[in-house]
Amino acid sequence: MGLILISHSRGLVEGLREMVAQVAGPDVPLATAGGTEDGRLGTSAPAIAAAITDVLKQSDNAVVLLDLGSAALSLEVALETLDDVDRQRVHVTEAPLVEGAVLAAVQASVGATVDEVIAAAASAATMPKLPRA
Amino acid sequence: MTVSEVRLVVIDPSGLHARPAARFVQAASRFSSRIVIRQDGREADAKSLISLLGLTIRPQSEITLAADGPDADAALAALAAELAPYVSQVG
Repeated sequence: MGLILISHSRGLVEGLREMVAQVAGPDVPLATAGGTEDGRLGTSAPAIAAAITDVLKQSDNAVVLLDLGSAALSLEVALETLDDVDRQRVHVTEAPLVEGAVLAAVQASVGATVDEVIAAAASAATMPKLPRA
Repeated sequence: MTVSEVRLVVIDPSGLHARPAARFVQAASRFSSRIVIRQDGREADAKSLISLLGLTIRPQSEITLAADGPDADAALAALAAELAPYVSQVG
């Protein structure tokens, strides 16, 4: 199981990739698509499609995490470039990008199922962060 | 079936933070026993990072590691070793 991280910012997803790899270890395939092709803030459907294809070459299933706004539209365009079989292997989540990526990657690293990885990512939306008083 | 427990105190000044927690989940997932961490009346599944981070374990808090299953003793030994840099054993 691999992860695709999509953001408006290349710097953000590169930093997130580093963090996810350090926490979850090197065994989970990761690909990123951040920023426009000319390096501005934004999203690029071709870059997203390339990231998805990259992960699908390395694993049976791919879970996609994205930031906001047009990332979802660019992702839709990217998914339309895939054939039906590949598209069935791509699972898009509503999970918060940073926390969701870390949780999903750790569950993927222990051989969890697609549903378990998606559930781990989704749970990031409600996980407590601050220590209880 | 064996049920085993070990009590530990978290001594790392950052508590049980993301990287060691992730290593811990990876180590726990190699065993078939049901493994939990208990702290202050709450319980987390040791094979789930979200569950574990949800405990928000503070420095100096006492935790109980419990395993229930055919490889419970081996699991606790391995997991206590995994946590060794961050904890001290109680009793």
